[in-house]
Amino acid sequence: MTPVLELRGIDKSFGPVQVLHDVSFSVYPGEVTALVGDNGAGKSTLVKCVGGIHPIDSGSYFFEGKPVQVHSPRDAAALGIEIVYQDLALCDNLDIVQNMFLGREHKRGLVLDEDTMEEMAAKTLQSLSVKTVKSIRQHVSSLSGGQRQTVAIAKAVLWNSKVVILDEPTAALGVAQTAQVLELVRRLADQGLAVVLISHNMNDVFAVSDRIAALYLGRMAAQVKTSEVTHAQVVELITSGRSGDLGLTNGVPA
Amino acid sequence: MTDARGPKAHERSPADGTPPAAGEPHGGEARTGEAQTAGRTAAGAKAPVRGSSGPAGLARLGEARHLGLVLALVLLAAIGLVTRPENFATASNLVSILSLAATIGVITVGMTFVIIGGGIDLSVGAIMALASVWATTLATQSYGPFVMILCAVLVGTGAGLVNGFLISYGRMVPFIATLAMLVAARGLAQRMSDRKTQLIQQGNEVIVELSTTRVLGLPLLVYVFALVVAAGWVVLNRTTFGRRTYAVGGNPEAARLAGIDVRRHTMLLYALSGLCCGIAAVLIMARTTTGSSTHGDLYELDAIAAVIIGGTLLTGGRGSIIGSILGLLIFTLITNLFILNGLNTSDQLIAKGLIIIVAVLLQRRSLESRT
Repeated sequence: MTPVLELRGIDKSFGPVQVLHDVSFSVYPGEVTALVGDNGAGKSTLVKCVGGIHPIDSGSYFFEGKPVQVHSPRDAAALGIEIVYQDLALCDNLDIVQNMFLGREHKRGLVLDEDTMEEMAAKTLQSLSVKTVKSIRQHVSSLSGGQRQTVAIAKAVLWNSKVVILDEPTAALGVAQTAQVLELVRRLADQGLAVVLISHNMNDVFAVSDRIAALYLGRMAAQVKTSEVTHAQVVELITSGRSGDLGLTNGVPA
Repeated sequence: MTDARGPKAHERSPADGTPPAAGEPHGGEARTGEAQTAGRTAAGAKAPVRGSSGPAGLARLGEARHLGLVLALVLLAAIGLVTRPENFATASNLVSILSLAATIGVITVGMTFVIIGGGIDLSVGAIMALASVWATTLATQSYGPFVMILCAVLVGTGAGLVNGFLISYGRMVPFIATLAMLVAARGLAQRMSDRKTQLIQQGNEVIVELSTTRVLGLPLLVYVFALVVAAGWVVLNRTTFGRRTYAVGGNPEAARLAGIDVRRHTMLLYALSGLCCGIAAVLIMARTTTGSSTHGDLYELDAIAAVIIGGTLLTGGRGSIIGSILGLLIFTLITNLFILNGLNTSDQLIAKGLIIIVAVLLQRRSLESRT
């Protein structure tokens, strides 16, 4: 299977600090790839490079097998890459439909085409089997954390995206809401999307992911199938960069 | 009373679409914010898929959610009818109320945009004065009335653009940038006019006709006012510009991540406010037949007060044109009542101050009951 998104040999520095060293990362359609790593391992930087927020210093970026240049968030969005940020990036004072179409509103002539937007939003939420939201004209401020996460994810898949990156989607959620969001994450992958899940929570990672990519101090320690590793091995990869045959040897990939 | 309504708003039951029954004469302003949300969600709940047409469209028009403000207006009108039955309900009095409201009203439309977008514009009165002076210099007047109008509008928009540029690209706090513009524009207006009142010359009376020509009993400038309000309403509620104004005011970071050029948008908001000041300058030239550096003194405060009474949050992200205009009409009506009854203007100022405080207190209660 060819990865929909593939990075090879990515380097990224901020001034004198090199944050990513020769990182390779592949994401496959129909799979959930968990991106794990300790604080400061470079997860967020890697995601921002993918999303075009940070330009990469060197290395190559392939999308659906073809080399591409991604210099801005718009480039990434044009390819079909959507990022759901940790702080959700929703406007509390707008309703669900308005948020989902923010910045990309549909117009009929000069005025907003509310009917089309409402229909598309309703369809997207339906296709994700979201039933917890009472009305899509509800203000986002009236939603629970899980519902907000759902809206943010729905916003990301609305645009026929191929890769959806979720930055710690369950970090602020309770048990039931976490289960709901993970279920939704699984459903996205089952629909053929490539999903990247950034998470600190091993239970979430093992519950939902197909592959695990572990970053250690800015290097990709290992990218493995979830079914082939144990909980303890992943923790070891995160904390020391290696585990048995897996991972880095003297700081470089084996 | 707010607490009693609070839980209702949370339930989002369709019944909330029609704001709570009347019977709280003092609760007027409090209701706007809550009724606004309730109206929208109720409409959505009724027809989750096609909510934007039909009942929702009506609810968003704002008649329902501004019931409190309308009640306050009715109450004031009733006071007028009782205390001055012979003067209040006359055609000439109504015309004078509307003419008075027209100038500040146009400015209030621009101010509503700026405040919803999370900013503030203190320079509106000064910009209007500068535009009126610039448009009535002998040099400008020699080109005829239409160039004068164009001049006023361009000067207003230009000054607004300077505000917007300083705020969004110069990263200045809106309060400071527009305060500087207030002082500087007023000064420039004094320099240009030599502190003299500039009369509109013979041959340029077309401008004055805006206030003297009447259609269906109302002077033309009232129609200009209505046109600006209608245009403002459409832009705010029916276009991407308006939608993004709410987004920029509500959560600029989210707006940025959604691909909105927040800086450019902010600059355009101040330019829009400046444009409104330019139009207001034409109206005040029509009403007073002059351009003067003293025009529009303290208009910024009246405009901001009207916007706040109308339910727009100073922190941005929420508000409406119709609310602002109702707030302005309430203010204008109070002025009118005080004049008709021969009361002290100082008392009038005290009354206005109290109204602002009451409006904000009621707003806050309605906000707290929602969260």
